[in-house]
Amino acid sequence: MTKTASVVAFDQVSKTYGAVRAVDGLTLTLRPGETVALLGPNGAGKSTTLDLLLGLKHADSGTVRLFGATPREAIVAGRVGAMLQSGGLMDEVTVAELVRLACALHPRPYRVADVLARAGVAQIADRKVDKLSGGQAQRVRFALATAGDSDLIVLDEPTTGMDVTTRQAFWATMREQADQGRTVLFATHYLEEADAIADRVLVLHRGRLLADGTAAEIKAKAGARRISFDLDGETDAVSLRALPFLTALDTSGHTVRIQSSDADATVHALYGLGLYPRNLEVAGLGLEQAFVAITAAEEAKSQ
Amino acid sequence: MNGLIKLELTRALRNRKFLFFSVIYPSVLFLIIAGNADSTTKVDGTGLTVPTYMMVSMASFGALTAVLMGNSERIAKEREAGWVRQLRLTTLPGRGYVLAKTASAAVVSLPSIVIVFVVAAAAKNVRLDAWQWLALTGAVWAGSLVFAALGVAIGYLASGDAVRPITMVTYFGLSLLGGLWMPTTTFPSWLQDIAEWLPTHAYAALGQAIEQSRAPHVQDLAILLVSFVLFAGGAAWLYRKDTLKA
Repeated sequence: MTKTASVVAFDQVSKTYGAVRAVDGLTLTLRPGETVALLGPNGAGKSTTLDLLLGLKHADSGTVRLFGATPREAIVAGRVGAMLQSGGLMDEVTVAELVRLACALHPRPYRVADVLARAGVAQIADRKVDKLSGGQAQRVRFALATAGDSDLIVLDEPTTGMDVTTRQAFWATMREQADQGRTVLFATHYLEEADAIADRVLVLHRGRLLADGTAAEIKAKAGARRISFDLDGETDAVSLRALPFLTALDTSGHTVRIQSSDADATVHALYGLGLYPRNLEVAGLGLEQAFVAITAAEEAKSQ
Repeated sequence: MNGLIKLELTRALRNRKFLFFSVIYPSVLFLIIAGNADSTTKVDGTGLTVPTYMMVSMASFGALTAVLMGNSERIAKEREAGWVRQLRLTTLPGRGYVLAKTASAAVVSLPSIVIVFVVAAAAKNVRLDAWQWLALTGAVWAGSLVFAALGVAIGYLASGDAVRPITMVTYFGLSLLGGLWMPTTTFPSWLQDIAEWLPTHAYAALGQAIEQSRAPHVQDLAILLVSFVLFAGGAAWLYRKDTLKA
């Protein structure tokens, strides 16, 4: 296999279902060792993107390459381990039997006992797959995805159904995988997970890439800081709206909430208006709020 | 792929209900049907005694049960649950899943055939030459592939709640009308005319020809061959359609 710098390369990829463009001219490259979160509201095209990436679906136009080859070739070479959101499991067999199968199918398998231990399912190894809780089933899926020495690990909503403790343990395991130089791509609904774990965040909306950067960059793009304060007397929305670097304004009663891409300048100008804000607070925006702001702005634009 | 075949087999052998219906049930049914018949009564126009005739019918029925019942419903279920998708993320070749299902069904169908033969020989004193026993086993076993292909096709055709009724109607229809439960010679002639064209009838006729020490009818061989091509082709086409959709 030729040595190539990109792990995943989408080039102008589109996929349409009837009148719906699920993925619309998507171009994107993942590099070795990155931990990448794929975010997007429901129907943004996350699942379709992962299906195209794994060769489960074929693009109407454009090309998808994994390690410079087709997705199927990369999978056959054992370079990809994947866990699907709705990836069913074979029932009436035990967890250990299923993991043994996954190891047998991988060209560079790990030892079954190690895979079970790492995924945290060693204690339930003898349990029947159809008798597992949602969180346990997710861990078994993770075991199947990490049965061998793959270079790319793809996880679709991996922590769905897990409680908080299990979720933390899961991400600790995941980080180990990333630390060994693997590329990890995961789609998630939990934005705090993306914020804490990913070193690159992709925001997908209506099949297009809306934002691509570190969590900090995404937050900055959305209007990085939130400023809130109370005003005595009449609030003059017109002059407030004219504040520099303001990206969003919300007033209720005496309370004013502002989002700003440069909080220092905005606050400075606020005093410049001759106002005396009380209870002034300046806070960073969470990734979740940034995400909502970015997708809402795009939504407004397209209407 | 051997790993998957092994696991499919482990699972089939663990499922007592399935084992009962495909391995024990045909022999029990044989004893009930052939039980009252004395070993001199012949089935009209065949020159075979009732136990000898019914032995092949029940062996065929057992093999049919093993290859049709288990697979169609399971494939439909696993397709819906996403297990088939998950397997596509492994090195397993595309056809590996279907081949593993078919292979494991074939392993289960062998004992169901042999047990009917053993019961018939022991309890109803059926006697054949050594080459006939061997040829019978081979023919009934090989013939079951036709219905294994049908099972796969149904598994990819139907889904959810529809798969069980479709399997049942196909299974009972083919068994009854094909004369696996009673000789078609007892049917009214209009029904005999239909039965003659069913693959299950051709399937049992193949075994009965061996019992009669004569070459099988060309028509029966042709029906089995055409059915196999039809079912396997249909299964392959439905499989490809499903793969593109998933």
